Amino acid sequence: MGKIYQFIDQRLDLTPLLRKIADHPVPDHANPLKTRSAFIYCFGGISFLVILMQILTGAFLMLYYVPSPDHAYASVSYIKNEVAFGGFVSNLHRVGASAAVLMVFLHMLRVFFTKSYKNPRELNWVAGVFLLFIVMGLGFTGYLLPWDQKAYWATTVGLNILEGVPLAGGFLADALRGGSEVGMLTLTRFFVIHVMFLPGLLILFLAAHFFMVRRQGISHPL
Amino acid sequence: MSLCEKQTTSSRRGFLANGIKAVVAFFGLGLGIPLLGFSLSPTRGRDRHEDWIPLIALAELKDSRPTKVTYQYERKDGWTTVATRKMAFIVQNGDGAFTVISNRCPHLGCGVDWDATANQFRCPCHGGVFDLQGRVLEGPPPRPLTQLASKVEDGSIFIREA
Ligand code: HEM
Ligand code: FES
Repeated sequence: MGKIYQFIDQRLDLTPLLRKIADHPVPDHANPLKTRSAFIYCFGGISFLVILMQILTGAFLMLYYVPSPDHAYASVSYIKNEVAFGGFVSNLHRVGASAAVLMVFLHMLRVFFTKSYKNPRELNWVAGVFLLFIVMGLGFTGYLLPWDQKAYWATTVGLNILEGVPLAGGFLADALRGGSEVGMLTLTRFFVIHVMFLPGLLILFLAAHFFMVRRQGISHPL
Repeated sequence: MSLCEKQTTSSRRGFLANGIKAVVAFFGLGLGIPLLGFSLSPTRGRDRHEDWIPLIALAELKDSRPTKVTYQYERKDGWTTVATRKMAFIVQNGDGAFTVISNRCPHLGCGVDWDATANQFRCPCHGGVFDLQGRVLEGPPPRPLTQLASKVEDGSIFIREA
């Protein structure tokens, strides 16, 4: 390891760059080793860890999952019952989805109660709200993919709730549903939203979020 | 803090670095092993079809030229069952004796066909040529065409791939 790093470092002079990125003190009020109650400052980092796990397990689930009404249910039960560690990987992804929403919400509460959203961090709060909606969107679209009864009816109900939005509701629900009934087109849409569009947005907003955190530093509680 | 306080912070740094390594190892192995098993599990064990598959009635064998037959069996493919169709040649050796030869080229797996004018099996892909018994005459195939285990029962020919 050390040798390989040296080889690369001699040629690319990475150390100063890494120092700049990683070598910065965590202020005592945000460091759980120094201040007990500072564990609430870890929620953002834990959210990120959970999201990394979701990306990893999700990528592996795609080895077997087929987003078609004919095969979705059978491919999921194949994963769970026949593939080695299939239950582990799919349950990790499922529990991880709940954990992601939970941790992001706790993180938001931390930011709220330490009043960290105030000037100059308003923009990062806005980026955070986008992140919250993206994570919930991932949860909603992912829920349909197993194509079992619970998935089907949860999506039916969820999209009917969306129909309640004044004026645009009907259009939005139909656009997401790909028609007036939950079916083949809903499944392929939700699949692509779940594995391409939302993860792409998530990465963009995470980059902006982390950039702003580093640029502005962690706030002191007011 | 940081660089000028090297003396006092280095042991703590070492401790933290080891801690980080332990966490990375925990996640690396705890996820790496299951994910590797997850990815590779369907590739364990080649699925061989063990049953005898009916080919053709003995009475239908005509002249002494190789008779091309198509056979079919059901195979598990992921979570589905699919019909696999393959081809073989029945080569008669006189006195009712015969061998069944797979049409799979032993080079890279293309399907060979019988060339009636040259009296040879020819592979369309890279010029493999075999004689009536399946022995290599020309080209890159490293071994003869595969003979399939066969038997006669109730006047019909059966083969087995295993
Ligand atoms: C995908 C979800 C999210 C991830 C991975 C994430 C990650 C992080 C991390 C690692 C930090 C550094 C401080 C800490 O860990 O507490 C942070 C800070 C911050 N986050 Fe998030 N966050 C997410 C969602 C949100 C949401 C939903 C909001 C609010 C609506 C938000 C608002 C903020 C703000 C304002 C800060 C700066 C806080 C300060 O300086 O004290 N984030 N985020
Ligand atoms: S596959 Fe038949 S000669 Fe190459």
